[in-house]
Amino acid sequence: MIAVIARKEFTEMLRDGRFRVAAAIVFTLLLVSLLMGWTHFRSVNAQHETAQRTTREQWLNQGNKGPHSAAHYGVYAFKPKMPLSLVDQGVDNYTGVAVWLEAHKQNDLAYRPAQDSTAVARFGELTAATVLQILLPLLIVLLTFASFAGEREQGTLRQVVSLGVKKRDLAFGKALGTAGALMLLLVPATIIGVAALAFASDDGAWLASASRMFLIGASYLLYFTIFIAVSLTVSSLVRSSRVALVALLAFWIVNSLIAPRAAADAAKRVYPTPSAFEFTAAMESDVGKGINGHNQSNPQRQELLRQTLAKYNVGRVEDLPFNFDGIALQAAEEHGYTVFDEHYGEMWEGFERQNKLQQVASIVAPALAIRSLSMGLAGSDFTQHRDFANAAESHRRSMIKLMNEDITRNSRSGDTAYVAGRNLWETLPRFEYRAPGVVRVLANQMWSIGGLLGWVVMGVCAMLIAATRMKVD
Amino acid sequence: MLTRIIQHELRNLSRDRTLWIVTGLLAVIVGYGVFNGASWVRFQKQTINEVTADEAQKFAAIRNNIVKFDDGSAQPAPNADPRDPAFAGRNIGQRYAIMPPAPLAALSIGQSDLYPYYFRVTTRSKQAFINAAEIENPNNLLAGRFDLAFVIVYLYPLLILVLSYNLLSAEKEGGQLAMVGAQPVSLRTIVLGKVALRACVILALSIGFSLLGILLSNIGFFSGSSDSSEATLRLGMWVVVVTAYGAFWFAVAVAINALGRSSATNAVVLSGMWLLFVLVVPSLVNLTATTFYPVPSRVELINAIRDASNEATAEGSNLLSKYYEDHPELIAEAKNQDPTGFAFRFYATQEKVDRSIEPVLRRFDEQLTRQQTLVNGARLLSPAIVTQEALNDIAGTSVSRYRYFLKQVDGFHASWKAFFVPKVFRQVKLNLSDYNRMPEFVWQEEAIGTVANRVFVGVFGLLVPALLVGALGIFAIRRYPISN
Repeated sequence: MIAVIARKEFTEMLRDGRFRVAAAIVFTLLLVSLLMGWTHFRSVNAQHETAQRTTREQWLNQGNKGPHSAAHYGVYAFKPKMPLSLVDQGVDNYTGVAVWLEAHKQNDLAYRPAQDSTAVARFGELTAATVLQILLPLLIVLLTFASFAGEREQGTLRQVVSLGVKKRDLAFGKALGTAGALMLLLVPATIIGVAALAFASDDGAWLASASRMFLIGASYLLYFTIFIAVSLTVSSLVRSSRVALVALLAFWIVNSLIAPRAAADAAKRVYPTPSAFEFTAAMESDVGKGINGHNQSNPQRQELLRQTLAKYNVGRVEDLPFNFDGIALQAAEEHGYTVFDEHYGEMWEGFERQNKLQQVASIVAPALAIRSLSMGLAGSDFTQHRDFANAAESHRRSMIKLMNEDITRNSRSGDTAYVAGRNLWETLPRFEYRAPGVVRVLANQMWSIGGLLGWVVMGVCAMLIAATRMKVD
Repeated sequence: MLTRIIQHELRNLSRDRTLWIVTGLLAVIVGYGVFNGASWVRFQKQTINEVTADEAQKFAAIRNNIVKFDDGSAQPAPNADPRDPAFAGRNIGQRYAIMPPAPLAALSIGQSDLYPYYFRVTTRSKQAFINAAEIENPNNLLAGRFDLAFVIVYLYPLLILVLSYNLLSAEKEGGQLAMVGAQPVSLRTIVLGKVALRACVILALSIGFSLLGILLSNIGFFSGSSDSSEATLRLGMWVVVVTAYGAFWFAVAVAINALGRSSATNAVVLSGMWLLFVLVVPSLVNLTATTFYPVPSRVELINAIRDASNEATAEGSNLLSKYYEDHPELIAEAKNQDPTGFAFRFYATQEKVDRSIEPVLRRFDEQLTRQQTLVNGARLLSPAIVTQEALNDIAGTSVSRYRYFLKQVDGFHASWKAFFVPKVFRQVKLNLSDYNRMPEFVWQEEAIGTVANRVFVGVFGLLVPALLVGALGIFAIRRYPISN
């Protein structure tokens, strides 16, 4: 019985001119956004890979100089784009793309692409994710707002129910019919998306994204189920189709447009973050309180010198079997590491707490759940950015340690003419970055997943209850 | 006749629950929007105060230290003498170049959360300080802020459409239109009366609640006599923009109603138009701009700068003689000094680096300007973009004002360097009077005429489509089927 109803609904929708026009528009937008996403991904990744090679060559070819000068010269790290970002750009445009790894300072990633765009970019990028999260639910609303209410007005609902059709079966049938109609445009789009992904990265790394692809697809299907269920619920509860349309449009607007902004504002109020000025001032002050590797009159450095001389049982720094400057520099850096970890950690934890709160707020609006989950799985959310920043920072710390150890081992205190060459530069391994696995991503998105599943369960239950109790005329 | 229709409509609408729901909603969202905007302005002003206080404090400390170093009661740390012009210009004698929020900044947060509003200027290359950024969760930047501009651009048209989607179709379906139409009154007058009332109500409510919100949020709107005339002018422009935007949406509602379809169809079509103009067209405009005028790679810029500085450092003393060729006034001053000193090489290298990266930076800026010009033209395709840009201009949170700030920072950077560099080459020590004469950044607000020009092009871009569409609608009313 459900299959028969579903097939009838499906045929009826296909014959509706409004559905055909709307579906054609949505499908075109999906294709355009996938194509643009693919082009953008390829060009940005090519740029970043070239730049990463160039900075490595600049490091290797910097000539002969003191290792500490080399540490000041440093290297750059360029953030790679994840393959699935062609579907969901997430916050990629609002986070920096490159970071300078230099001595004494942990820099934040710089050059946010959005700063090089125009104000129109703040209206939202056209990506597959925005089409699926914002436009497709509207299509669902248009297809289903008159499902029950319209039939009631036309009188056909009373006829169908008088035949003995269970109202619950009617609900399921209509839901499946709508889902079928949607599949007509989603399945080709998905195939094209998977093909785009396969052709996006040349090295076949797309297979590693297979699980992410599958999970993103599943999340969106859950999101559409929520909308179908809510739509049918409202349609069966209200008196007229006009009221159903207004109510559903209001839900769509609050969900897609207002909830993200309101949630962002609420999160900022509950977990405020410091201003850049306060952050830099606090960090500089804390670094200044510790040992200074350059300044001979710094009391902590003098204390370290005393301890080292005592440990090696010599009277003068020149008699030490290594260069004390290297030891002092490394000690200063390690003091810096604790300060940076504390301050950057606090700032980033603040962001993560804000994002968690926005995930929790999906109890009120499912759009928050799918937004967070989609970004997370596509690898374009803040957690992914932070992971890269931490990897770059580890690389910086390795570089500094190599330089300081070389100074310590291969020169003596007071030897300012010591230079090193390509042999030393080559000991720094090339910077390779591997994205975290999908399990880590899911663990971070538990609230979004919970919100999405909760809404599906509540939506389907509400749909069944409303359909069973619905008035037939 | 018109006034009678308006009075009657007022009575009708006030009995309908819709008007009260709309009023309540408008009050809440406008109030919240202004509150958010005001909080952001307060945060900016607080940061600016902290920054200015820090600068004053640091300078006071330096002055104290100079007195102590001069009379020998204390010794400066090595390479850290505030009387050394190289150290002072590069490290501790830092001035902040600050762009304060404009008088009505609370009305639209615009791009001000994305761009920095102060820079720490030193004698180093501009690249050393120009990439600062305020700390903000990228998720929040992506979502955008719930400010008054968001309410006006996105939600205010919806409220207009809610009140007027069934302007004619409701009475037609109810049968009253046939009765009214039998009276000696033209349908055009009826429509104008209905629209006039709804427009007055919505405009009065929107503008009224916004003004109330601004006054209550107490952000010093009326502070300072010279500011308040400019602020009033900006407020006037804001009222004009909101009215023009409202006029566009009323015109669209009338035109769709004039097609003679049912209320439900009107609702669907009008939602589609809202979606098109407010969501779809802006994304498409952005897509076109970035496809046809992609911004050249920042990433390439980084490597170009590194290559340039590599070459410059490698050139060493050759560079210095080239520097003297370009700055003959400094040769005499440097005659007795060691020309290979660190400070000399530093400035020569900086200049070479700045010069080599200049073509790259210029190409970058040109692409960006071309993109902005394309968007400026294409914005007339969507009244939402026009309104957002106009509101940003009025509130002083647009990219144009930011670029104006950057030009002033450039000028200040040049004068900052011009104060210190000759002193470095003359190896002259700084004293207290020098510290009193150090260049200070004075912010010059954009001429209100320039802003007004930009805003009025936008208003024009709103009124012309509004009048066209409205005229089409009124014309189509002639053929309106009053009864089925």
